[in-house]
Amino acid sequence: MDTLSHLATGFGVALSPVNLLLAGLGSIVGTMVGVLPGLGPINAVAMLVPVVFALGLPPESSLILMAAIYIGSEYGGRISAILLNVPGEASAVMTALEGYPLARQGQAGVALSLSAWTSFVGSAVATVGIVLAAPILARWALAFGPIEYVALMIFAFACLTGLLTEQPVKAMLAIMLGLGISTIGIDPNSGVYRYTFGSPNLVDGVQFATVVIGLFAISELLIMLEGMRGGAAVRIEQLGRALFNRAEWKFTALSSLRGAVVGFFVGILPGAGGTVASALAYTTEKRVVERQDPEGSRFGRGDMRGLASVEAANNSASNSNFIPMLTLGIPSSGTTAIMLGVLTLYNLTPGPALFNAQPALVWGLIASLFIGNVMLLAINIPLVGMFARMLSVPAWILVPFIVVVSAIGVYSGKSTTFDLVLMVAIGIAAYLLRRVGVPMAPLILGLVLGKILEQSLRRSLSLSGGEVGILWSSPIAIVLWTMAAAVLLLPILLPRLRQWTRRNAIEAD
Amino acid sequence: MTNDRTLGISALVIAALMTAYGYGLDAPFAYEPVGPKAFPLITAGIIAVCGLILTIRGGGVVPPAGSGVNRALLALAGCLLAYALLFQPLGFIVSTTLLMMPIAMIFGARWWQGLLTGAVLAISSFLLFDRALAVVLPAGVLGGLF
Repeated sequence: MDTLSHLATGFGVALSPVNLLLAGLGSIVGTMVGVLPGLGPINAVAMLVPVVFALGLPPESSLILMAAIYIGSEYGGRISAILLNVPGEASAVMTALEGYPLARQGQAGVALSLSAWTSFVGSAVATVGIVLAAPILARWALAFGPIEYVALMIFAFACLTGLLTEQPVKAMLAIMLGLGISTIGIDPNSGVYRYTFGSPNLVDGVQFATVVIGLFAISELLIMLEGMRGGAAVRIEQLGRALFNRAEWKFTALSSLRGAVVGFFVGILPGAGGTVASALAYTTEKRVVERQDPEGSRFGRGDMRGLASVEAANNSASNSNFIPMLTLGIPSSGTTAIMLGVLTLYNLTPGPALFNAQPALVWGLIASLFIGNVMLLAINIPLVGMFARMLSVPAWILVPFIVVVSAIGVYSGKSTTFDLVLMVAIGIAAYLLRRVGVPMAPLILGLVLGKILEQSLRRSLSLSGGEVGILWSSPIAIVLWTMAAAVLLLPILLPRLRQWTRRNAIEAD
Repeated sequence: MTNDRTLGISALVIAALMTAYGYGLDAPFAYEPVGPKAFPLITAGIIAVCGLILTIRGGGVVPPAGSGVNRALLALAGCLLAYALLFQPLGFIVSTTLLMMPIAMIFGARWWQGLLTGAVLAISSFLLFDRALAVVLPAGVLGGLF
């Protein structure tokens, strides 16, 4: 059993005192970050990028810390959603739908402990899924050359624009802006300086941390300020009974398993994360319950089954997000994109080679997901009251704190005023883009994948001597191109097709 | 002018700039069929297409924020920019204390709460990062004291 011995190696790495400490720290910080509105996992991981370097952490420890924060924030996001009806982050929107009504009925404590438990179920299902699926996918990915990579990345971009956003043009624009930023700096193949405008600060490109912190942390402050003016007063509900009982556990067991499975598969898709997973799980669960138990359905008025499936799904998805990231080098969410960017800062090339060449890193991370989830369950049930109290931290302490940590992070890279000013400029630009509905996650995906995409494209065309047809010359590539086309065209064609068949049916009558 | 149209026109401007500055990028010796300018130019092309679609289609009206909100946003942006510019010359402790106070006040603090937040943050993070974690922060005008 190859997988089992790898997993044993992984636990060896993850159980080392330093990594265990980092996983614990990450779980606590992650939960706090998830609780605080306006400080999602992506901001926290972004602000950590320079810090892990300053600490001189080895790559596996950095990833373990970031992964713990990432999955921890999914646990934390539910707390403010249930207590305040304010989702701490996007994937908790669905949690608020059922969780907040429960809290209004005096069952906040039950909702919190039950959702912590189903979060754990979701994560556990997904981590087992990772262990089973990742090695298979990684072996399959070894057949990928530059040609297949180009097609794979186009497929990932197609998923981001076609399936998952309401505004495909804006998502595409965001991806392209990310690709554009990735071209800044010296071109490794020819030595030509691109878009440096004579500035020595741009010769080796824009610092990753500067872009990420500007895009997420700084723009978020402006969004927070906009939301705060005219915001309503905060009232926290009483917690009530703290733990769910046996009947409630049984009542929701199937729902959480269904949510976990939906979340797992959505999480594997490039570009889809917890937000899509929780929305899909919610609608699925609602449909199942309304068919099986139409009398007992309390959806929208505080149905525990809805809450259970949503929480299982978004935690499952945030764990299974690691599969495409580790095996193919294609991140499926903004946060995993940043982690991938961190890997490249360590001079590690993400992709199938990484999975085989760095078993300690890959399996250490997978093992730490198991450990992190157990820790999260253990701290989230007893300490929920403490985390809930964090909701009363005033913005005037939180915001200066974010600004200072961001500035230190950016400054620690190259120690220039240029990077600090660039961080603020990117933050203001990102705020304006977000105001008009341009999503930020595709932009960061474009930035992270830009260099790999360009290199794969140029290498493919070198193989063929400049003949473009080589890009769809292999069977895998053809499948991926077809899937990309399907993902882009289906949302446009499907409604028309349905209309057309309906018209035909009427005519047949 | 609707907001999507503004976005579309901005995208067209960016695409034009990328093309203008990217067109002359040529490698002195070409080892491969695709040079350094192809990828940026393709990217610029797709940005232009997105920009065109957004400009033609329009729509996406964002409700305008009240003038009070806009003034607060401008003040915050100004403070952040000032912080970025003064971080190195004034040094970490002075610039942080000086600028976190107005930022805290924009988010609803009284002046003494802002001053306290700034000073505590400045000194504690200087000790944590510069002293304990060896992330060198600028000493600036307090250079002689440490």
